[in-house]
Amino acid sequence: MSIPKIIRSTYSVCPVCLSRIPAQHVEIGSNVYLQKKCVQHGFFSSVIWRSKTPIGEWIGDTPRIKKNENLNCPKACGICPEHRQGTCCVLLEVTSRCNLRCKYCFADSRNTDDPSLKQVQAWLRQLAVPGKTLVQLSGGEPTVRDDLPEIISSAKEAGCRYVQLNSNGIRLAEDKEFVRKLAEAGLSFVFMQFDGTNDEINRKLRGVDLLALKKQAIENCAAYNIGVTLVPTMVPGVNTDNIGELLRFAIAESPAVRGVHFQPVSYFGRIPERPVDEVRYTLDELIYDIEVQTKGQIKAKNLIPSRCDHPLCGFHGDFVVMPHGIEPLSGKYTSKGDCCGSEPVSADKNRAFVARRWERQVQEQESHSCCSKPDIHDMDYFLKRVKSHGFTITAMAFQDAGNMDLERLRRCSLHVFDNGRFVPFCAYYLTGWDMT
Amino acid sequence: MADNKVIICCKCKKELIPKKVYFKYLGHSFFTDILKCPDCGEVFIPEELVKGRMAEVEMQLEDK
Repeated sequence: MSIPKIIRSTYSVCPVCLSRIPAQHVEIGSNVYLQKKCVQHGFFSSVIWRSKTPIGEWIGDTPRIKKNENLNCPKACGICPEHRQGTCCVLLEVTSRCNLRCKYCFADSRNTDDPSLKQVQAWLRQLAVPGKTLVQLSGGEPTVRDDLPEIISSAKEAGCRYVQLNSNGIRLAEDKEFVRKLAEAGLSFVFMQFDGTNDEINRKLRGVDLLALKKQAIENCAAYNIGVTLVPTMVPGVNTDNIGELLRFAIAESPAVRGVHFQPVSYFGRIPERPVDEVRYTLDELIYDIEVQTKGQIKAKNLIPSRCDHPLCGFHGDFVVMPHGIEPLSGKYTSKGDCCGSEPVSADKNRAFVARRWERQVQEQESHSCCSKPDIHDMDYFLKRVKSHGFTITAMAFQDAGNMDLERLRRCSLHVFDNGRFVPFCAYYLTGWDMT
Repeated sequence: MADNKVIICCKCKKELIPKKVYFKYLGHSFFTDILKCPDCGEVFIPEELVKGRMAEVEMQLEDK
């Protein structure tokens, strides 16, 4: 039996009353847990790391939260002067309606009335920083709104540089004319729910067969040059053994598919039951499984900790898809003192990076090397190919009431816009576990 | 670099000729043709290459 060892102190919330309480990262054997005790509701523990990579190496020298810092977090969220990151992406809910009824859903669609177009336009004017903002239109399922093209063009008129659509892809598959209108309105790219390469996975997570629709949605978006990034929710025992196949599918669909954005399941919104450790999937496990299931084609060392958000919130890998396979761009170089990449990166820089990869170029052509065989070392070929076939493998581990770590929350760069306030994503959707 | 300008190596006094030259940056290497001294290997990197394609490579490779 291993002796528990406290390796980091932080703050969290009680999963029942959501009060701010002290918490510790506790190493027991090869696992690391976030443990905390609420005076009223007792002791709670959630696994946060399974040491496929040492957690200390991954976190690097990220500053710890001190006793007197972020005292109003997360109750008074809104971004405040103590928040440690700017806004990379703004999420705006344009509807609470949905055409699916998923087992897992952070938004927990309520099927209430949509905000009027006029109201959405007013919000867009409020949230936009002209020339900079990346707005994610979310929901519910945004494509249930017939006026979504007008919303997109309003976002562009308000000055949003990028307009991202978060969608399950159903209407994108069934209504090609609608996709054309979205493209014409200025849609930049789509984040499409895509949980796996077989319908058994879709039935388990979404209740219905969806694979054929998802493929059609990719095809329809490609017809109008809209880049699609696939977004699987990773649930242990459901699709964590499908990672290799999913990545091979996504790479084969490049350049229409721009990358895969993994989201290990988190337990807020609509969830089937209170989570036990067996149903949690940690970032280090995901990275390990990516390398194993792609048979080393994608290596753990090429997936590097988030430097915009907290390292425990995600990773990114930058690649270029070549005719014969995938070549890594990130993680090839490490200098002393920067081995973990823990020096924070601004939200502006992060946004420019991701948008550059996720958006398809207008004049995209199959790039050919001057030589008979494409050579990534040919500078001219590389520059063309990376623009046309750049590919990202990224992940975001959302937090819930069980594993909420305020050291992480204060670095969040994904902010939900709610009536004039910018609220870190995981604070906005945080729900207590007694959802009776 | 003006297209037809002859560039002479200051050490060897030989005319530089276009050669495939490799650059290394952040663990990657790339080649392109630039002017090189046939004797000592000194290269001339024109400003438009530095500010143009090389800067672009740098931007594409820098981690976010």
